[in-house]
Amino acid sequence: MKEKTYVEDIGRSVYDIRNEEKDAYRVKEGLTAAIVEQISKEKKDPAWMQLFRLQSLQIYHEMEVPDWGPSLDGLNMDEIVTYVRPNTHMSAKWSEVPAEIKETFERLGIPQAERKSLAGVGAQYDSELVYHNVKAEVAEQGVVYTDLESALKGPYADMIRKHFMKLVTPRDHKFAALHGAVWSGGSFVYVPPGVSVEIPLQSYFRLNAPGAGQFEHTLIIVDEGAYLHFIEGCSAPKYNVANLHAGCVELYVGKNAKLRYSTIENWSKNMYNLNTKRAKVEEGGTMEWVSGSFGSHVSYLYPMTILNGEGSRMEFTGVTFAGKGQNLDTGAKVVHNAKRTASYMNTRSISKDGGISTFRSSVVVNNQAKKSKSAVSCQSLMLDSASRSDTIPAMDIRTQDADIGHEAKIGRISNEAVFYLMSRGISEEDARAMIVSGFADNVSKELPLEYAVEMNNLITLEMKGSIG
Amino acid sequence: MSQGLGVTINRLPVKTWNWLGMNEAVLERGSITKEGRLNAEIPETVIFDTQKAAPALDKILTGMGDGIDTLFEEAQIPYRILRSTAGMKIEETARLRIASRGNEETLNRIGLFLEKDSEMTVVMDVSCMQEREKQAFAGFQTRIYAEENARLHLVQVQRLGEAFTCFNDVGIFCKEGAKVELLQLILGGGTNFYGARAELSGKESAWQSDIGYLLRGGQRLDMNYVALHEGKKTNSKISVSGVLRDRASKLFRGTIDFQTGCGGSEGEETEDVLLLDDTVVNRTIPLILCGEEDVQGNHGATIGRLDEKLLFYLQSRGICREEVYEMMARARIDALNARIPDAKVQAGVQSWLEGGNGDECQ
Repeated sequence: MKEKTYVEDIGRSVYDIRNEEKDAYRVKEGLTAAIVEQISKEKKDPAWMQLFRLQSLQIYHEMEVPDWGPSLDGLNMDEIVTYVRPNTHMSAKWSEVPAEIKETFERLGIPQAERKSLAGVGAQYDSELVYHNVKAEVAEQGVVYTDLESALKGPYADMIRKHFMKLVTPRDHKFAALHGAVWSGGSFVYVPPGVSVEIPLQSYFRLNAPGAGQFEHTLIIVDEGAYLHFIEGCSAPKYNVANLHAGCVELYVGKNAKLRYSTIENWSKNMYNLNTKRAKVEEGGTMEWVSGSFGSHVSYLYPMTILNGEGSRMEFTGVTFAGKGQNLDTGAKVVHNAKRTASYMNTRSISKDGGISTFRSSVVVNNQAKKSKSAVSCQSLMLDSASRSDTIPAMDIRTQDADIGHEAKIGRISNEAVFYLMSRGISEEDARAMIVSGFADNVSKELPLEYAVEMNNLITLEMKGSIG
Repeated sequence: MSQGLGVTINRLPVKTWNWLGMNEAVLERGSITKEGRLNAEIPETVIFDTQKAAPALDKILTGMGDGIDTLFEEAQIPYRILRSTAGMKIEETARLRIASRGNEETLNRIGLFLEKDSEMTVVMDVSCMQEREKQAFAGFQTRIYAEENARLHLVQVQRLGEAFTCFNDVGIFCKEGAKVELLQLILGGGTNFYGARAELSGKESAWQSDIGYLLRGGQRLDMNYVALHEGKKTNSKISVSGVLRDRASKLFRGTIDFQTGCGGSEGEETEDVLLLDDTVVNRTIPLILCGEEDVQGNHGATIGRLDEKLLFYLQSRGICREEVYEMMARARIDALNARIPDAKVQAGVQSWLEGGNGDECQ
């Protein structure tokens, strides 16, 4: 049998650049009421938020670590710094961002993307946003795109209070409670009724500090008949200590509104990514998730959609690529709560070099969701036998009047396909990379071109050196 | 494994969200000390009632888990073992008839030991002879050891009364080239727990299971089926087809587990559930666990009501909706019933479907 070679670490140079730690302020490691109060004070929280943080902390201590999913033994909260403020303040001018941070985001292509293809950008560095800007023509339509802290104290304060952690409550799970206690940064978007934001908004999250946690909160409200495409990107340099990402995304999709939420997650491979995302969709509304998971040491990520209004629908398109040292537990959840709702999940998982990929899903169709439809399709590709790929899809159907379909497939790259490509003069390595890229095209074809190219580059990087 | 008065059973091989309530089930145990009445018609070439094979059978893990074993051990229920003769294809069917009664709590433990190159067909028919409306508990466990190239066709039909709590636990171990076919019809019982686990240890061993159920009224069914692929080129197929009526509820856990080293193996799970009333609850969790590159695993599920066009067509032929529903429910069971190699049991199932208790045909 042919020996496979392995190139130890691929060139993630763009993502792996570390900046010297020049933070202005950081709390002590660990999680105590004093630390939470300190964060609240630093952020000049309103009184209700301070109380909310402390209540969340209490819930955090009451709740158990999940007894399902990948091991979290390597994550010690006593060693995690929950708040690191970079040595700058948030600016709407790129020129005012400190040179070193600016260079990092420039290498990641953020300002270039803003100029070319985005309606607005938010850039978070460690625990705070360092840049936030929205194009004038979009702002003129009444679209609000700002950092959450500003929104919490400005004219949208009541709206934030009404929606903040109401979809994902601190009682949801232990890390939602942690988020409630120490959240910092993130964006608030409000799209007024009937407004269609033709080009996407993007938030990019960069965690530079070793041993730190990032807990940004994204709150998006797309009002009746409005449309938005929001893109989320994340990365971090690799360290030898565990980093933690426990962000939270809450999305409210109004009547006949549509929201597309795209994520290319490329955290470093020392990251515990315990992120929670949830959307509630009203009558006739549409929620579309596009998700590419490439980074992290351990991931728990299952965007959930509650189809609350008649005729609402969701689509989830995802790809997960688990390489050496990665245990990526990803998938989606949907609850059908109203008549004529529809959901479709289409996912691909790829496992390589001992990586573990798990697709986990749930489809719940409640009794009132008559004439609803749901289809789930998950396909997994195993690139070697040192890896694992598991699928754990659950369905709970409580009405007769629904059509539910599910299919799952697991297999390996067809030798015939590799042979065919090689007979056309393509090397085996390129042939396999090409097949894997094609396998993941359910996601890449749903992304704007620049991001699809980035995703394909990531796959190609991951595939390098896998053939000997 | 006991939790208070209950025994935790049917554990999912890999846990998922606890809020779904699918990770395991709890069987409320009684104080069972009695073995159920077993009437066996055994071909002359089958060796019966020997405990020789018990140690090998004891090592086989079952679908419902080791909590069930404690019930048998505490009640000191022995195996009733059927053993084939090496190299012999036994044409005649072995018949095991277990006649339960209302107001009783009984257990039966069966062992099937298939010697090398042998073939055997066993039909187990579980029914209720008397006082079917009275509360009762009936538990069954079957452990199967299949030596090289052995073949077993096992049919299990259950027609207990709706006041029964019933469990049926199966464990299978297959050596090289061995093949076990399991056909189960679940028609009766108020609260039912079913589990089966096949360890496909030997190269080219195979397990095929076809499960059919028809649940009405307030009947409940909780299932856990696991195919463990260890040997190379092993094959498993779990096919479940059922009908839910009235307030019936069902949870199907199905797992295909490809262990590292089982190259060339294939596993398939298919589920087809017909929901005929709006108060039914249907839950499904089909797992594929994979630690081997060179395998093919598939799962497909279709869950829903009767096709509107079909319903309209049949109604336009003067058949009322209720009759159509009954016809469709029966058709699914008939398809499996036709494969049972025992005319008496077939007739019993037919009688059951027509509203009898099936015992008129015995």
